[in-house]
Amino acid sequence: MWLISLRDLQYRYRRFLIAIAVTALVFGIAVAIDGIKQTLQREPADLVASFDADTWVVRQGSSGLFTTNAVLPASVVATLRETAGVRSAEPVVTGRTTVLTGKRENVNLLGYDLRRGGPEIVEGRAAAGDREVVVGDGLDVALGDRLATTSGVFRVVGRADGSRYNGGAPTMFLTVKGAQRVSVDGLPLVMGVAVQGRPETLPKGTSLATNSRAVEDLRLTIKSATATIDFVALLTWLIAAGVIGAIVYLTAIERTRDFAVLRATGSPKRLVVGGLMIQSLVVALVAAILAVPLAFVLRIGMPLPVTLSGGSMIRIVIVGIVVGVLASLAAVRRAITTDPALAFGGV
Amino acid sequence: MPDVTIRDLTIEYSSGGYAVRPFDHFNLELQTGQLVLLLGASGCGKTTLLSVLSSLLTPTSGTVHVGETEVTGLTGAALTEYRQRGVGVIFQGFNLIPSLTALENVEVPMRSAGRSRKEARARAEELLAMVGLEDRVGHRPGAMSGGQQQRVSIARALALDPPLVVADEPTASLDYIQVDAVIRHLRDLASPGRIVVISTHDERLLPLADRVVELTPRAILDQRPPERQELASGEELFHQGDPGTLVYEVDEGSIEIVRELADGAGEEILQIVEPGGYFGELAPMFGLQRAATARAGAAPAVVTAYTLRDFRGRRGSEVLGAAEGTDDVSIDPRT
Repeated sequence: MWLISLRDLQYRYRRFLIAIAVTALVFGIAVAIDGIKQTLQREPADLVASFDADTWVVRQGSSGLFTTNAVLPASVVATLRETAGVRSAEPVVTGRTTVLTGKRENVNLLGYDLRRGGPEIVEGRAAAGDREVVVGDGLDVALGDRLATTSGVFRVVGRADGSRYNGGAPTMFLTVKGAQRVSVDGLPLVMGVAVQGRPETLPKGTSLATNSRAVEDLRLTIKSATATIDFVALLTWLIAAGVIGAIVYLTAIERTRDFAVLRATGSPKRLVVGGLMIQSLVVALVAAILAVPLAFVLRIGMPLPVTLSGGSMIRIVIVGIVVGVLASLAAVRRAITTDPALAFGGV
Repeated sequence: MPDVTIRDLTIEYSSGGYAVRPFDHFNLELQTGQLVLLLGASGCGKTTLLSVLSSLLTPTSGTVHVGETEVTGLTGAALTEYRQRGVGVIFQGFNLIPSLTALENVEVPMRSAGRSRKEARARAEELLAMVGLEDRVGHRPGAMSGGQQQRVSIARALALDPPLVVADEPTASLDYIQVDAVIRHLRDLASPGRIVVISTHDERLLPLADRVVELTPRAILDQRPPERQELASGEELFHQGDPGTLVYEVDEGSIEIVRELADGAGEEILQIVEPGGYFGELAPMFGLQRAATARAGAAPAVVTAYTLRDFRGRRGSEVLGAAEGTDDVSIDPRT
């Protein structure tokens, strides 16, 4: 039955090529948007990890420091540095602002001394003055450029690796004092403290947040976005199944007489069923394999970074198998309900 | 060696709400080595009988034995086994798989039955050489003539050397040049150990046959004097499904023309023929079975039975198929 299925694919190759092309495009889109989801999921973890903190001190009751408006007095930093079990304690000030030059863009704002940790500076140096910034990926500026924002004008003195979060928004790193001026009107407040070591006591009104909790907190902002991506991905699988299913079903309608003849001449049902599933699987798998290079092409046009991992590739092949099997069901039903006596029909 | 025995075969199906019974307690015995022609007009049940012999159709009642195998009771694996090895089928429309070459088409039944690729290929080549197509093995059906396709179909039917081969109108789609080769091969199929049953209305095949089974009577056109028949109230003159040889004219009383409804739902009166009217001319004219039952009405009736020739002479242009005026004739097609 392998032979009949493969010969039929050759015989009707034009339609199957069309099905493969359309399905590959749909799969490619699915891989690309899955890559966006992976990027969005990965960004918070990368950012938190880049600080190399063992734990975070935040205001009691706060879910985390990157998304909160809950602040701590800056004096807790000095207290923590004196606390037993603490090797280092660095203040973090967070905020959001909008870039006014070029395309208007929402950016994250982080007040942190990059000389003491955080994302790696790949070009230039850390900000030293209140009006100096280090920019992460996603902002099209060069060293020495002046960056106009709704929070003032800054001079770009360095570039850091990665550092996107909040749904792919780029990040500006300021000094702590500079960030306080923008976010809390220059008051001596911080949103949290990155701590290396484990404090044996905590300043009053504070609590510890683990790295995992800090990541979860960041991911809260993209929860709806990732759920939407999951839903769109499901729709793309369904569209792919629909495309393959329609083509294989139409072929099954045309092959009704063939099925009747096969049954009349003693081909068991399982062989007829297997033959159709093989056709469907071949189309789905070839499309899934073609979807991988297509996803790389589609990535070029995507406004957000797309993470294409080995896991994505394996997942698309597995999805291809599932889609292929599901797509063949209508055709299989038609084939096995074909009355073999139809073979006796005239020309 | 297997013989074919058909006992009390009844096949009934619904057509437009009416019960159609092409076979009603039909019996037939065929001996091994015979080439049997099933002869009859379209719709008389030739293909239906082949479907039963091929175990593609379960009859309403009765039994069909091919050798020791009770064909009508087969299910599951036994049914598949019978279709693979018990019977080979040659279809009117060839029914080759268009995407496969001639060789691959012949291989299919063998591969389905679990034969190795090498073995199936060798046997397919042998069979195609036997039907004179050794130079066409790599051609797809679309690149072959009708006669060549039918010869491939014959080779496919023989793939697993079945004891019974059935062929449905094997020459219907062929011109006279192509028919020649196909007829020769069909004749060669019938040999000790095998029965070949061919349904056809192609009388060119008659000289081939060891036995001819006429499923519908031929029209009787020879002279026979008109016969007056008296019927008691409700008495049947003929029954739906009977062979029809005579045309009837009502002299006295009335005749009800009734047709049986499907699923035992009773019957429907199609027409009441009064004195001077006639009925029953289509069956003898076209070699059909009676499509309805004729019986006397509430009162006794008298009818006169005529041969078709006498009736045409008597009624002239009123009768369909008479020499003059046939275009103007209005005739009830139900009888």
